[in-house]
Amino acid sequence: DSLPTPVVDSLHHKQISPINNFFMQSYYDRYKNLHDSDYENFLSQEVSSGLCEPDNLDFVLRLSDLKRNLTGEGSHRTVSTSIKFQIKSLSELLSYSCEFIIIERLPSGVFADPFELQHLVQRGVFSDIAVFGDTNLELPSFMSNRSAVEIHLVVDPNVLQRPTDLNIELPLHARYQSLNESGYSTVEFGAPDMLARCNTKEKVENPYCFFKLEKDGVNLYGPRIVWRIPSGIKTHANLVSAFTFIAASLSTLAIVVSSLYYSNS
Amino acid sequence: MAKEQPYSYHDALGLRVNIWKPQAQRSRLPTSRIKKMLEYEIEARRMLAVSLICTLCHASYCLFYSKISMASLDIRSLLVFSAIFRFILIVYGEWQDTHMEVRYTDVDYLVFSDAAALVAVGDSPYKRTTYRYSPLLAFLLIPNSFIHRSWGKFLFSASDILVGYFIYYILKLRKVPENLCNYSVIIWLFNPFTFTIGTRGNCEPIVCAMILWIIICLLKGNVLQSAFWYGLVVHFRIYPIIYSIPIILVLDPNSFPSHQKPVIRNWSAVQGERPKDGSGWHTLHNLFKSIFTWNRVIFGLISGLVFLFCTGLFYCLYEWEFLHEALLYHLTRTDPRHNFSIYFYHIYLHYGHDTSVVEKLISFLPQLLVQLVLIFCFAQDFPFCLFVQTVAFVALNKVITAQYFVWFFCLLPLILPWSKMKLRWDGLSCILLWIGAQTHWLMWGYLLEFKGKNVFLQLWAASLLFLAANIYILVMIIRNHKYASVFKALEYANSKTAAKLE
Repeated sequence: DSLPTPVVDSLHHKQISPINNFFMQSYYDRYKNLHDSDYENFLSQEVSSGLCEPDNLDFVLRLSDLKRNLTGEGSHRTVSTSIKFQIKSLSELLSYSCEFIIIERLPSGVFADPFELQHLVQRGVFSDIAVFGDTNLELPSFMSNRSAVEIHLVVDPNVLQRPTDLNIELPLHARYQSLNESGYSTVEFGAPDMLARCNTKEKVENPYCFFKLEKDGVNLYGPRIVWRIPSGIKTHANLVSAFTFIAASLSTLAIVVSSLYYSNS
Repeated sequence: MAKEQPYSYHDALGLRVNIWKPQAQRSRLPTSRIKKMLEYEIEARRMLAVSLICTLCHASYCLFYSKISMASLDIRSLLVFSAIFRFILIVYGEWQDTHMEVRYTDVDYLVFSDAAALVAVGDSPYKRTTYRYSPLLAFLLIPNSFIHRSWGKFLFSASDILVGYFIYYILKLRKVPENLCNYSVIIWLFNPFTFTIGTRGNCEPIVCAMILWIIICLLKGNVLQSAFWYGLVVHFRIYPIIYSIPIILVLDPNSFPSHQKPVIRNWSAVQGERPKDGSGWHTLHNLFKSIFTWNRVIFGLISGLVFLFCTGLFYCLYEWEFLHEALLYHLTRTDPRHNFSIYFYHIYLHYGHDTSVVEKLISFLPQLLVQLVLIFCFAQDFPFCLFVQTVAFVALNKVITAQYFVWFFCLLPLILPWSKMKLRWDGLSCILLWIGAQTHWLMWGYLLEFKGKNVFLQLWAASLLFLAANIYILVMIIRNHKYASVFKALEYANSKTAAKLE
């Protein structure tokens, strides 16, 4: 009863977001790895070229607040993003149906589990979600590439008028870090990119019309997230190796001696 | 993905952590709740450990000191009772899965189920990432998709009960008194580690049942069938490959003649008797004297063919994906993430560097040497040999997760009737030491994984302690074991019948 209503508008979801219609898919079709410069070039090319209708979202709604927070302890945490919109024209907004796309470029030290996220989609938390790049859970950060998470939210415009923020909680996991003298390495997140894809409810959708929700002039709270992850200490290497092999040898010796001794006595 | 997915984290704590949010509650999961759930999981493990102590203590107490007559507790009622108990647990698990935040079902079970669903529609089970088993398992679980999703749990729990019955059967074959048989069966059937593993949907009970069935086939002189199952079990889960040499050794022509059944020694005959034959040099001498006996050749040939057939068949069906996921992954697995193994921190500190051949050899050598010596010393006391081999193999492995412990738990009841160890205080101290060392490790693991503290060194030291505990217990078990070759040597048996005739 106290549970919040799902933000996802499942009715519109079916109409708008065909499966595999991911923005980042076209990035990865073109580039092999995630690099900030490639990504930014790509983003500026792909985002609305004026042939779309509506040709500008700015007069309908724009971002007003963006709050970022990292919650939890240890290797399994959640990045929460809470967004507030400023609605310029309510009547106009109600005539559209919008899908919001949040692109979270993850630093190499952390990963998102695609199976876990898929589960969230099934529970109606997100309309759709995909993880691009390395999703191998076992690789340490220095052996893996960066990954990106693309979250789709089809939101009923009526939800947007409510005073409550739009909340997105993304569960993330720490990879094993490269060795470090201080014993901790720091992983930092920037703010996510937000795109919107809107169509008037009557018109046939144009899947290529993305609008970037500009972050200039937005009230940013906690824009940089810092996650300290324990890392192996290089100076331990010799001690650990030596004692590991001594322990293995002593154990071997103990078993060998006792087996030979007691099997004959 | 057709099915729900849990919040699943890989088995970095030795066990897989699985957290679940019921489908009924369609909401986002607050982080505080996730944290709470993780704590529950730790708490659940702690409770599991405590109940394990209680059950083991209770069972062992009964075993040695109880004056209660065991006549009323026959094997049939034990099996029926544990079957009902497991049924209730599975039903309870279903309830917990839908009503509570901590899921009862093992994360791996969902992986198997997804893989089975893929197979059911004609796809490759390896499309489900982290499915790292033989496709046979996915085939076995196909009814999950159209009978009930708990089908696999029933299958695994049935194997688990079968293991209980096999333990009884093996001990009976070796003429162990009824009450000792029952107590040994209790140690398997009512071990919390065991009954939770099957009912949560872990596939290890199937492997255990196959291993025990192989032992039964060998005891009954059925080499052909044991070879078939051995080939299959090695295909299914590679680790039983360590049993190949003791099996070959036990097929000694001196005790296991080609065309007649071997004679099993009675339990009572061994009590108070010194071993006369069958160990060490004698076995080795027999091996080289007649390495190619009919039984050995048949065993090697059939098991090899079954293994190659299964592997070949699935290679044809699923190609490299199968070889890579089900075989090579397990053979080459070096995990830098924390686990019970003493090697984890060393592997992490050197991950990504090219390890030299010498280094690889150094870490492989202790395991190999220990296996060879244990086989050399105990091969003719076949179940005991398998038990000590498995304990030593797991203790010195490069990766150790909690499910590996089931590998030797199923063999433990087979050796208890031959142990001189008194429960008070040797047995009890062994149990407490093992659980204590493991709990100590889990505490540091919790601080690292769930509190984000850099305790790598302490955790590694806890692994060393856990290894020490394992080795101490293994040595205690070896020291207190009454060595008894399973089969009578032929000359010995013959001379005895001759003496009788005289």
